[in-house]
Amino acid sequence: MPDYVPTNAASSGVTLDKKLLKQIAARSDRPGLVYLARWAAALIATGALVWVTLGTSWLWPAMFAYGTVLTVPAYAFSHETAHGTAFRSRWLNEAVLWLTSLIYMEEPLHRRYTHTNHHTFTWHVGMDSQMPFDTPMGFSGWLAEVTGFGLLRFHMAVMVRLAFGRYSDVMRDVTPAGEFPKMTRNARIFLLIYAAIAVLIAAGQLWPLWFLVLPRMLGAPVMLLFTLTQHVELQENSPSILDSTRSFRTSWLGRFLYMNMNNHVEHHLYPQVPFHALPTLAKAIETQVPEPDPGFWRTNAEVFGVVLRRSLGLSTRAPSIRQAPHMITEGGRVERIAQRTM
Amino acid sequence: MTQWIRACAADEIDEEDLIRWDHGGHSYAIYNTEKGFFATDGICTHEHQSLDEGLVIGCVIECPLHGGRFDIPSGKALSAPVCTDLATHPVRIENGEVFIAVG
Repeated sequence: MPDYVPTNAASSGVTLDKKLLKQIAARSDRPGLVYLARWAAALIATGALVWVTLGTSWLWPAMFAYGTVLTVPAYAFSHETAHGTAFRSRWLNEAVLWLTSLIYMEEPLHRRYTHTNHHTFTWHVGMDSQMPFDTPMGFSGWLAEVTGFGLLRFHMAVMVRLAFGRYSDVMRDVTPAGEFPKMTRNARIFLLIYAAIAVLIAAGQLWPLWFLVLPRMLGAPVMLLFTLTQHVELQENSPSILDSTRSFRTSWLGRFLYMNMNNHVEHHLYPQVPFHALPTLAKAIETQVPEPDPGFWRTNAEVFGVVLRRSLGLSTRAPSIRQAPHMITEGGRVERIAQRTM
Repeated sequence: MTQWIRACAADEIDEEDLIRWDHGGHSYAIYNTEKGFFATDGICTHEHQSLDEGLVIGCVIECPLHGGRFDIPSGKALSAPVCTDLATHPVRIENGEVFIAVG
């Protein structure tokens, strides 16, 4: 028997009829392929906007739109394929994992195994290898997280380590030993591709700058505002996903960009359920889980208000989003509970 | 000595699904796949998770805990984090009943 209790539906006291769960979790290639086609169409449409606005002041809004469409789904698809749930066909799943991780800029198998660990020990200090910010979060932590530079620095350091075969203790803890040669090979290929892009730009070929590098940088904050909501202000070290994880309501556009991962509580309870079935899962267990927090913008605005007030030593009670009891204070000195692990 | 033991009725297992069957202090997984009925040990070789809530995808069983996959007919571990194969057990169908060779 394992000497731990994994954080999931069982540890959270949530139940679902086994036959219904298997129906909901059934795999198919079609929804993933349809999503891929829609994503490609959205990239072509917003990419065309970048093309026609080159040399005008409209370039930056166009690039922001294109960068959002490039970056948020690349993150979401990389996440879904890391779980192996995006497609029924394994080769398709792995091919899309590789490609989208190249855009997300994390070695794909490092992504998979640190994320597996994140699911097994969700928001457990010292155990969860994917805690991307110090908790409780202050303004400087928010800024480091949302600009994307903290994450980029972490992913690049991991990439270089893997490329040189210098595996950290965390990597060794979470990864099956037989996977390291593949990770080293992937990291070297990724670094070569990034270097080739840099050489092209340096040689005067500016299209990678307009269509890859700058959009990826502009889209990163939107991506990180989505991911920030997943566990911020919630309970560390709880066996229950209901205490540690947040779902929120969002528009059709948010659901599309984020591949329904706004149903994040539901995803952590049953990670074997594919992205397209998360709304069905949410409906099936709605009486057993907390109400989702308000929309993407309002949730983020409330988080921002809380972290700003915390840094100013003021009250940290949010107007409506869920917070763990210890996150709500009347101000004063903040005791750090966890240091970022990525 | 190998014994053939009746485990269940064949129609108790949905197509592309499995059930858990415990016998003699041992847990088995019995599958109804597109290639017929098969049986393996019922516990994942990675972290001692029962496979009965796992998904059958064609002739592959995916562990519900970490998504490791095994080929059902051979028990072969297909993708990390599982690295050790599952033991398999012969299956016979007679008059709509599933028999497993144990021992």
